[in-house]
Amino acid sequence: MPKKKMLLMKGNEALAEAAVHAGCRFYAGYPITPQNEIPEYLSRRMPEVEGIFIQAESELAAVNMVYGAAAAGARAMTSSSSPGISLKQEAISFLAGAELPAVIVNIQRGGPGLGNITASQADYFQAVKGGGHGDYHCMVFSPFNLQEMWDLTMRAFDKADQYRTPVMILGDGVVGQMMEPFHPTPYKRPRLPRKSWVLNGAKGRGPRVVRSLCMGTGELEQRNLILQKKYELMKKQEVMCEEYDTKDAALIVVAFGIAARIGLSAVKELRKEGRKIGLFRPITLFPFPAKQIAALSGKGRRFMVIEMNAGQMVEDVRLAVNGKADVQFYGRPGGVVFTPEELYGKLKSAYGRRG
Amino acid sequence: MATTLTLKELSKKEDRFTHGHRMCSGCGAPIVVKIALMATDYPVVISNATGCLEVSSCISEFTAWNVPWIHTAFENAAATLSGVETMYRSLKKQGKMDREVKFIAFGGDGGTYDIGFQSLSGAMERGHDMIYICYDNGAYMNTGIQRSSATPLGADTTTCPAGSVIPGKLRSRKNLTKIMAAHNIPYVAQASPSHWQDFAKKVQKAHEIKGPKFINVIAPCNRGWRSKTNDAILLSRLAVNTCYWPLYEIENGTTKITVTPKQKLPIVDFLKPQGRFKHLFSPENEGLLTQVQDEIDREWEKLLKEAKTD
Repeated sequence: MPKKKMLLMKGNEALAEAAVHAGCRFYAGYPITPQNEIPEYLSRRMPEVEGIFIQAESELAAVNMVYGAAAAGARAMTSSSSPGISLKQEAISFLAGAELPAVIVNIQRGGPGLGNITASQADYFQAVKGGGHGDYHCMVFSPFNLQEMWDLTMRAFDKADQYRTPVMILGDGVVGQMMEPFHPTPYKRPRLPRKSWVLNGAKGRGPRVVRSLCMGTGELEQRNLILQKKYELMKKQEVMCEEYDTKDAALIVVAFGIAARIGLSAVKELRKEGRKIGLFRPITLFPFPAKQIAALSGKGRRFMVIEMNAGQMVEDVRLAVNGKADVQFYGRPGGVVFTPEELYGKLKSAYGRRG
Repeated sequence: MATTLTLKELSKKEDRFTHGHRMCSGCGAPIVVKIALMATDYPVVISNATGCLEVSSCISEFTAWNVPWIHTAFENAAATLSGVETMYRSLKKQGKMDREVKFIAFGGDGGTYDIGFQSLSGAMERGHDMIYICYDNGAYMNTGIQRSSATPLGADTTTCPAGSVIPGKLRSRKNLTKIMAAHNIPYVAQASPSHWQDFAKKVQKAHEIKGPKFINVIAPCNRGWRSKTNDAILLSRLAVNTCYWPLYEIENGTTKITVTPKQKLPIVDFLKPQGRFKHLFSPENEGLLTQVQDEIDREWEKLLKEAKTD
């Protein structure tokens, strides 16, 4: 078997290069740690592919440049970290309302407020429940290694175009900053609907309108119903998750992103010692793999949710389980990264506890 | 409450910005802060935008600030201070406070020229009684030397990297001092830590003027400028003597040059010691170097004319 070509890069750079591979030719950003490698990399890379790099004067400006570029039909991306993503929320709501495809990257850091610059998962609610005003969701991907930083970034652009929706990549300071080898999967463009709505000049055709302002009677409700239909379709078609040793597990650990990566080390260790423990990892956080979790509940199983926050995804797990299983939670808020040893201890005692 | 500006007198004063902060060695920003706070005996309240100065001076549980100090997000130093200053005026009006307190906002060029510009402009237009002091090091140094709208033409930064295709930043810096003057506020000035007396006098003067004031101060950053750690004062002096950073003030619309270089030096004297301009000295970038000099000459001539007519 021929050896796979591997790349060694920083997570943020892998994401940036994957975007270029996926045909992203418009990027607007603004400095904030720990995502600076994305704008820095693209400031060098975009000119090489005749793409556009713009450093804006603020996060607001960057995301609104993406709004403009998306309306003109470009595959457009912006990135930031938690406080900067808060500033972008108005425009993300506009993107969702106007049904414009765009990729928004959040390399999360500790919050609230200015918080700190270490990795965190405290923006889960903001990412999956809407974030800005109005009834909308972004599709949200949660990479847990650099292979996924690469693959999910390319997928994010396709899904944004397919559903005409903003897609968020919810990373964190660890996956953004770490280096590890990954296979640079070549980009294969799927069949996507033609962008028949693009604002590219009305010469020879009728005018088009892209907007989120719907003032006519009932117009806004109709727009909302269209959005809701889209979200229902995503729930049917786009859920991604991964299970490790869940079949015979008495205790299932549920974690996303880097928490799952660290959790997996602890779970593997406990398995080796003969404990029936498994891990369930949502890869899409919206749509959330509620059905898959529901299917695992019952049969006397217990769940343990681990997150690098004060307990956010655990709410969705509890909704999915719907009372059919005991759901415990262990979290570290404030930009604290778990150690595998710490999780080993927590999971061991959770396993030992007879529910 | 003006302090006597002699080194002997100043050395007797208690530090209002103390040692123990974690700014890089050789950084210009803490020198700017020290001079600004030294210049007055008034009680002061500081608001600080996010940036090197803020993160390095308030590492958890510690503070280098010997004065009341408030920090909010990157874009809000002027807005937050507007709130503080307004509350102070209200308390005064209600008779709950009678002390004369002065308000100073500190922000870097990213937090002042770019993301904080809106709140700065708003605070100046509303007429809050404060001094906004920008320490301008010409890039987002705190996040890793990304270009800002204060980054000079031709400089190499991590988001306008100099290479074989693009010779660093392609745009000239924005003249924020003049933009602030266009707000028609009572006092606007430019200062440099190399001319500390001139700077301190400007701060003193500003404190005695009611209303919004703006002082733009050059603050060398050896990390971003790729210069020697002991060159902050030398480089800020060169900035003045090459007329890259003229020292002047605009008081009630009247422009006055406060320090005229004895001999105007060529801009290369300022650029050469800085690694961020290294590529400008290769033959293919000669044109850019001329452009930089021309721009400085033009701006300086303009300023001379303004000072003369005023």
